[in-house]
Amino acid sequence: MRKHWAGYAFISPWLLGFIVFTAVPFLASIYLSFTRYDIVSAPVWVGSANYDRLLRGDPLFWKSLGITFKYAVVAVPVGIIAGVGLALLLNLDIAGISVYRTVFYIPSIVPVVATSVIFVWILNPQIGLVNGLLRRLGATGPAWLQDTRWAFWSLAFMSLWGVGGSMIIYLAGLKDVPAALYEAAIIDGAGAWQRTRHVTLPMMTPVIFFNLVMGVIGSFQYFTEAYIMTQGGPEDSTHFYALYLFNRAWRYLDMGYASAMAWILFVVVMVFTTLIFRTHHRWVHYGD
Amino acid sequence: MNGPTHQAKPRGSAIALCGAVVFAVVVLILVFALPGATSRKYPERTPVRFWHMWTAEWKAVVERIVDRFNESQVLYEVVPLSVPGTAADSKFLLSVAGGDPPDVMAQWNQVIPKWADSGLLIPLNDLMSPEEWKEIQRTTYPAALKIGMYKGNLYGVTTGLDIYACYCRLADLRDAGLDPNQFPETLEELVHWGELLHKFTPEGHLSRIGFLPSGFVTYAPAFGGGFYDWTRGTVLLNTPENLRAMTFLVDQRRKLGFENVIRFESGLTVGLGNVQWPFISGAYSITVDGQWRVEQIARFAPELEYATFPIPPPKGGRKDAGWVNGNFMIIPRGAKQVGGAWQFIKFWSGIENPKRAAEFYAWGGWLPMCPAIAEAPKYREFVEKNPQFKTFLDVLPSENIQPTPPVPYQVYLWDRITRADDAAQRGSLTPQAALERLEKEIDREIATRRQFGYEDETEVKSRT
Repeated sequence: MRKHWAGYAFISPWLLGFIVFTAVPFLASIYLSFTRYDIVSAPVWVGSANYDRLLRGDPLFWKSLGITFKYAVVAVPVGIIAGVGLALLLNLDIAGISVYRTVFYIPSIVPVVATSVIFVWILNPQIGLVNGLLRRLGATGPAWLQDTRWAFWSLAFMSLWGVGGSMIIYLAGLKDVPAALYEAAIIDGAGAWQRTRHVTLPMMTPVIFFNLVMGVIGSFQYFTEAYIMTQGGPEDSTHFYALYLFNRAWRYLDMGYASAMAWILFVVVMVFTTLIFRTHHRWVHYGD
Repeated sequence: MNGPTHQAKPRGSAIALCGAVVFAVVVLILVFALPGATSRKYPERTPVRFWHMWTAEWKAVVERIVDRFNESQVLYEVVPLSVPGTAADSKFLLSVAGGDPPDVMAQWNQVIPKWADSGLLIPLNDLMSPEEWKEIQRTTYPAALKIGMYKGNLYGVTTGLDIYACYCRLADLRDAGLDPNQFPETLEELVHWGELLHKFTPEGHLSRIGFLPSGFVTYAPAFGGGFYDWTRGTVLLNTPENLRAMTFLVDQRRKLGFENVIRFESGLTVGLGNVQWPFISGAYSITVDGQWRVEQIARFAPELEYATFPIPPPKGGRKDAGWVNGNFMIIPRGAKQVGGAWQFIKFWSGIENPKRAAEFYAWGGWLPMCPAIAEAPKYREFVEKNPQFKTFLDVLPSENIQPTPPVPYQVYLWDRITRADDAAQRGSLTPQAALERLEKEIDREIATRRQFGYEDETEVKSRT
């Protein structure tokens, strides 16, 4: 132990930060979820009342959970397909490929707040870029963020803007596929599609698995874009779970209830992550 | 031979490590212990920490008022800090919870009932003599008083009210053959004017809205409705008057087509405090907005020919009715300089000297809290320079302008009222269904609060 103390001393700033700002609030929120708590008064024990109220007496809880689930179901697969597709294209050996890679990667490093504000303009039905292009094609675009039928889908497809982040990981995965496998496939007479289908994609599954898990966790915590662009509207159609949790905590000062919501979210995320892990041995190939 | 060398190395590195750790700890202590970089003009005086949410040109006005206060003092120095509006409430709450709140804060969010209910705020009437409190109740405009009150105590002193009235573009009226010297006296008549002023593209899309009444909270009081019975202390939601108001608003929207209006409105660039206001660009011929637009027009579109007039009531409805909000000053529990904070509030608001404070209200273009300020020479001078401001000033004494109900779940109530309005205005729910759903939601919230042991829930909504 004595010989390790120097190491602990060096990481003590992080350890302290982790204990004070993550571990303690994390554990405290378990207790707070069983209390009535408004930040400034002492918490009052209410037993499981917050959970009862959530599960039985709050339609907005179910609605926000449903919207978030729908988002995860749509945005995660679309993100994976787009990320893998882009990575495959950007893995081609053509002139200026590094420029293309940079162009597709840059949007993912733009802060999400800035992206959201820009998209409010891009999706403006009168003077926005999207409807302007549609008008040139002779079509009339909808009021993307103000129409209950389109607001959710606008946010879901806007998530593709940041696909460059996962694309880079897929690209790194592609570089890791042994050339010998392609050579063997070519000798066996496999065409481009067959090589992609039977060599590239199976060898990419560990990376896809990683992005799937991270994508699902991220989707259930979706907040910033909805907070900035729609505030949950129109008519609660983009009232995501994390947004509702935030409103309960900071707008209505209902911290006990918000803590219970956070723990339910934690359980939901854990269940989905466990399910994905349970299935991974069926479809993830580690090349052994 | 090698023995001593082997032992010396770890000892040397251990000393270096200890030195580094000690250095880090000292730096950390210094960072937290040293005073902040806030410059003080009067370091010998007792500091009064003042938080506000104004930025840009408004911040300059606030700092000017603070300077005036500091010049008038020998005991206190107000130290202002502009806190970003989006995070102001959470910063304030955390500062109170952490035992280090500001001494005074200027607010405009709907916070008084909840914060007062949680014991976060000091009742300001406790800082006054009974005579002083009686005098303030007698002389303050009813709306200004209501904004700061919760359960019989004053928790916020209003330093500026936000009132809504009609703005109209005179050239548009003349083009449509309407008399710009004779504004409509009923809402129905105003809607008819609007119909004459609407403009459409060849495809039938709206290109200009003449006038379209919008905003359930703005119009409900004019129909005899509203959301609170101020004498009985009950929340009112699904009442015949509110239903009538919502139905009227929905009917006007239906005439233009829900989809058509959504498309038109969502394409507008709505910005508070800048040149993008759609009225300036001509997207509306007549619209309803707050008094701060008078100054903005003067700044960004001085050539615009326009007039303001009060929102006319519907036939048989209430005159000078609507929703009101405002800026107000609060003192948190745990404030270290309550005396200094109260001095500052009295100085700015005009409780101490209305004539002097009139100048501050004029600088900010704010509506005053009492007639004594409105009648002061400096404020009259301001109104003479901005004649359109008079419309708002005339509405001020009205008993029919009402703030959001002072209940501890005020923000939730507000959110659900706006959502109900949204659903009805989009045609997703009938006004009756929207109000029924709203009442159900609030009923559920009240029942839950009772179940959670909140002892103060005495509000019962009156039903249809």
